[in-house]
Amino acid sequence: MSQPKMSGNVRAKKRVLVAMSGGVDSSVAAALLVDQGFEVIGATMQVWDYSQCDIDEGNGTCCSSLDVDDARSVADKIKIPFYVINCETKFKESVIDPFVADYMKGQTPLPCVNCNTYLKFDHLIHKMRELDCDYLATGHYAQIQTENGKSFIATSVDDWKDQTYFLFTTNSQIIPKLLFPIGHLQKPDVRKIAEEKGLIVAKKKDSQGICFVGNQGYGNFIESQVGKKALEDLRGLFRRYPNGEVMGEHKGIHHYTYGQSKGFGLDHHEKMFVIKVDADTKTVWLGDESHLFGHDLNLRDMKLMDDLNEEQIYNVKIRYQHKGAPAKIKKDGNGFKVSFLEKQRAITPGQAAVIYKDKKLIGGGWIVI
Amino acid sequence: MKIVTASTFDGVYLDHNATTPVDPSLFELVPTWMSQFGNPSSIHQASRGPRTLIREARVKIAELLNVSPLEIVFTSGASEGNNTVIKAIWDRRGKERPEFLCSAVEHPSVIKAMQSIEKKGAVIRWIPVSKEGALDLNFVKMHLGSKTALVSVMSANNETGTLFPVAEIVDLAKAAGALVHSDCVQMFGKHTLDLKKLGVDYATFSGHKFYSLKGSGFMYAKKTAPLENLIDGGAQERFRRGGTENTVGIAAMGHMAGKMATMDLVGKVSELGQLRDAMEARLVAEIPELYITAQKSPRLTNTSHMMIAGIDAETLLINLDLDGFCVSTGAACSSGNPEPSPVLLAMGFTRFEAQTSLRVSLGWGSKADDLEKFVQRLGEIVSRLRQMKKELENVTA
Repeated sequence: MSQPKMSGNVRAKKRVLVAMSGGVDSSVAAALLVDQGFEVIGATMQVWDYSQCDIDEGNGTCCSSLDVDDARSVADKIKIPFYVINCETKFKESVIDPFVADYMKGQTPLPCVNCNTYLKFDHLIHKMRELDCDYLATGHYAQIQTENGKSFIATSVDDWKDQTYFLFTTNSQIIPKLLFPIGHLQKPDVRKIAEEKGLIVAKKKDSQGICFVGNQGYGNFIESQVGKKALEDLRGLFRRYPNGEVMGEHKGIHHYTYGQSKGFGLDHHEKMFVIKVDADTKTVWLGDESHLFGHDLNLRDMKLMDDLNEEQIYNVKIRYQHKGAPAKIKKDGNGFKVSFLEKQRAITPGQAAVIYKDKKLIGGGWIVI
Repeated sequence: MKIVTASTFDGVYLDHNATTPVDPSLFELVPTWMSQFGNPSSIHQASRGPRTLIREARVKIAELLNVSPLEIVFTSGASEGNNTVIKAIWDRRGKERPEFLCSAVEHPSVIKAMQSIEKKGAVIRWIPVSKEGALDLNFVKMHLGSKTALVSVMSANNETGTLFPVAEIVDLAKAAGALVHSDCVQMFGKHTLDLKKLGVDYATFSGHKFYSLKGSGFMYAKKTAPLENLIDGGAQERFRRGGTENTVGIAAMGHMAGKMATMDLVGKVSELGQLRDAMEARLVAEIPELYITAQKSPRLTNTSHMMIAGIDAETLLINLDLDGFCVSTGAACSSGNPEPSPVLLAMGFTRFEAQTSLRVSLGWGSKADDLEKFVQRLGEIVSRLRQMKKELENVTA
């Protein structure tokens, strides 16, 4: 019991804090960093009290408590120290509450971006510095590249898994501090590495959906947060777009998202789509799919990592699964206006429009209509 | 993962209130006990060895605590003991005496057991504790009466180490016809303890807090005091606790009780006090705005609890761990719980203050030079974190 290790300036290796969710991607990210010779510290953010929600733990959601066990066992396997960092309060304030508020406004929120903005790339960046680390690493499918000595985020080699869409709020000053160790790999290769290294998560399902909602469905989750009474106020009418004909009553605007074509409970033979959700009048507008297509959208809270050229044609994604479409972007009052060269389907308020120049992530903002 | 064992550990362990390392003498003895496999309740020859182990352990523990061996009941630990006592008294006396007095800074196993009987109709009066760790005896006097079934007050607090005047409480309670229970988990091995003199009706203990094995413990229940089983089962422990005995754990506790009876425990306790006091003096000199909790109050000599202004304890703990120092923010059982220590909140500290708290608890093997290394390293980390905070504030300002 004598010679405690001293850290600080005498450390030979660069120290990395790696955010581990208990999934295969961040597990392999951590393992690769160990191989690369870093001193690696694993951390899981405890973001939500899972004892209070009905959720199949470890079943393809992001950070349930069994997933914490998985992260811990991977950390043990690759011989790195591992800690659980409590972020429940911050997560509730900056992810859950805005998520619920957006649904109450009839929008379709994107909580993963807020989690990245306020938890991973703020709270954990802070922890990284406090723990005297040189870098913060995550298992995102994204890459850090440099151009003229300046670091930027570029899309992953795996187009299908690319997660840069969720990273548009990243502060450009912290990019040189980030490592994405699996961004140059295809998902099957990541699984292969996990298997070769004997990580127990090698065959684990990919995370799907929103981690804190689980299998109970959005409606039930929102109800658990705001109570039955508040949701009753969200009930209203289905109207036909654009003539306004009343088609029936709906269960509450939080159940509907733009482009949705099922779950209306209406006795109608023609295929109908949600064209618009009007939170003020609690009206859900249904109509023909052709009405879903639009050229333009407005953005609020734009975050830019690079200069924007109004003449340039960028590739803009309007939802995670969207391939992206060419568009011009210009300043418009307090916000920005994105004009697509071709009409896009279901431009949805609450989602993000994320801007790329080739593979380079330029920034993005929140869609308002 | 690097598995920490007594022989491979190269850091500094300062978390003895969470658990103690197993005494080196047990490494040789435990295998010999393990090989005595018989069920102590059997009639045949295989039972004799284990039965003897249990009997001898009971005698050694009783002797050390100056009580009768029959008053010792083996359990899985103090959490079980605390639940057993509180729930038994509610069952036995709740109708005539529905009121329970309990300090506001008890271990969760006491608090939760109290809350559990509260749901069944018990009235729980939480005895306030001051910032200096002093129990409000006037509150006890004011609320003790013919309706009081039990007073439960720990002998020493696990987080701050403050000692409570249990003997005085016994006198007050006796006058009112109330029973007294004391969670003595933090006392054994850190303080002398004579239960007869103390006069309590019940006391509870855990083996792993005095260099024995986890999952073993015992409770003292005075011959005259009522008791009900928490765990129904066979005739073990004279029908007071069902389940085949944890023979090895019990033997280990007996062995350690024997060791404490012959070693200079008083000398050890005072030696730890000197080490602790010297460390605290160095800490205060080295680190600005470091506040030692309840420093002026009677405390366990091994425990030092502090709050370091503006420093998030979780971050501090990880930093210290990465450098090989094992300490804690408070109760180990509550780690992973984002809420600040209920003990500190009950003492009147703010949530913000409670989140800056650090507990250092020494053990029989603690050494002055290790403590000096700890002071040095803590000083370096705190100053780095404060510098960083200052820079951040400048940026945002």
